[in-house]
Amino acid sequence: MEHISPVVHKWGLDFDFAAITMILVTSIIVLVLALLAVRGASVDKPTKMQNFLEWVIEFVINIIGTTMDVKKGRPYLILGLSLIMYIFVGNMLGLPFGIVTEAHHGATLFGLELDLKGEEEAHLAWWKSPTADVAVTAALTIIVVLLTHIEGMRRNTKHYFKHYFEPYIPFLPLNLIKEVSKPLSLALRLYGNIFAGEVMIGVIVSGLGWVGIIPLVVWQGFSVFVGAIQAFVFVMLTMVYMSQSIIHEEKH
Amino acid sequence: MDINWTTFGIQLVAFLLLLWLLKRYAFGPLLGIMEQRKQLVQDQLANAENSRKQASQHLEEQKQALQQARKEAFDIIEQARSTSSKQADDIIAVAKNEASRLKDDAVKDIESEKNKAIAALRGEVGGMSVKIASKIIEKQIDEKSQEQLVDQYLKEVSSK
Repeated sequence: MEHISPVVHKWGLDFDFAAITMILVTSIIVLVLALLAVRGASVDKPTKMQNFLEWVIEFVINIIGTTMDVKKGRPYLILGLSLIMYIFVGNMLGLPFGIVTEAHHGATLFGLELDLKGEEEAHLAWWKSPTADVAVTAALTIIVVLLTHIEGMRRNTKHYFKHYFEPYIPFLPLNLIKEVSKPLSLALRLYGNIFAGEVMIGVIVSGLGWVGIIPLVVWQGFSVFVGAIQAFVFVMLTMVYMSQSIIHEEKH
Repeated sequence: MDINWTTFGIQLVAFLLLLWLLKRYAFGPLLGIMEQRKQLVQDQLANAENSRKQASQHLEEQKQALQQARKEAFDIIEQARSTSSKQADDIIAVAKNEASRLKDDAVKDIESEKNKAIAALRGEVGGMSVKIASKIIEKQIDEKSQEQLVDQYLKEVSSK
């Protein structure tokens, strides 16, 4: 049976408690990791965690460095760091286990009735990667893409407005499609990869049973790889879009 | 595929909050520390460069001082050598002078002694020859001639 999210309706909103829980858990893990690294941080005697976080910082600086001048990209360093840590931790969270409960019609959560999509009985998945929810990836993408547009207007005003009409005015629709496709591809790539990984885990576990342990381990290892790559790609593309937006390339 | 806009909004707010918290409490301080470390490393590199320069300068100075000392030592030895040879020459010259003076003195002494001896000998010989002559005369002169002689002396004395 398909797993559905535990959703309750209130004030005209749909509260997906699995997503909310996972967003909170991921945020707290990232925050605790970062705070642990900073606790007791020093200039000449870095702790292990500090070394780790500095390595992450260097990594993101390198990503920025491949797309634009590091000095220009400096303001986006903390955004990139937060994104890569949040997405990586989020991608990893769904891998090790899942929590599924069985609910019957009329079950409640915090005094609110769960939406079982009209079924009498449903399996609710409480634990998943937050990034396996398209709303989450869309929110992250919107932040990034809005920021690229704002920064483009602010720091590269003339070229920003001109680039919609390049090389000729009739190219406006194409340029607009390009601008729309950027957030779509960014959000859907991350969502698709992680969601597919979780679906595959679900299929292996429920379909193969004990025989599935070996393919499960293999698939989880691959998912770790995919999760890391997707976190990297998301931040990389963020910086690429940012550099396209704020840097006016001289024509030769 | 439908987007749960509530989740969307929650995620939006949550991520912005996370971003702010991380910036405020984690990455801000850590980046500051990294900047400080960069500064520290640069300072130390500059210090090392300075020390190296100073060391090479000192080495150069030491070398020059050594060269100077060597030259001075050589000069001193040279000077001592020339002084010693000069002194030796002086000593030899003085000794030669002394020797020749002594020789001259000796020659003079010998000369004067010889003269003295000759003079003394001459006196002696005169006296002896007088004595011999007087003895011969005593034997040979008789009364008569003695008288004559006495007379002659007397005459001589009286004529004076």
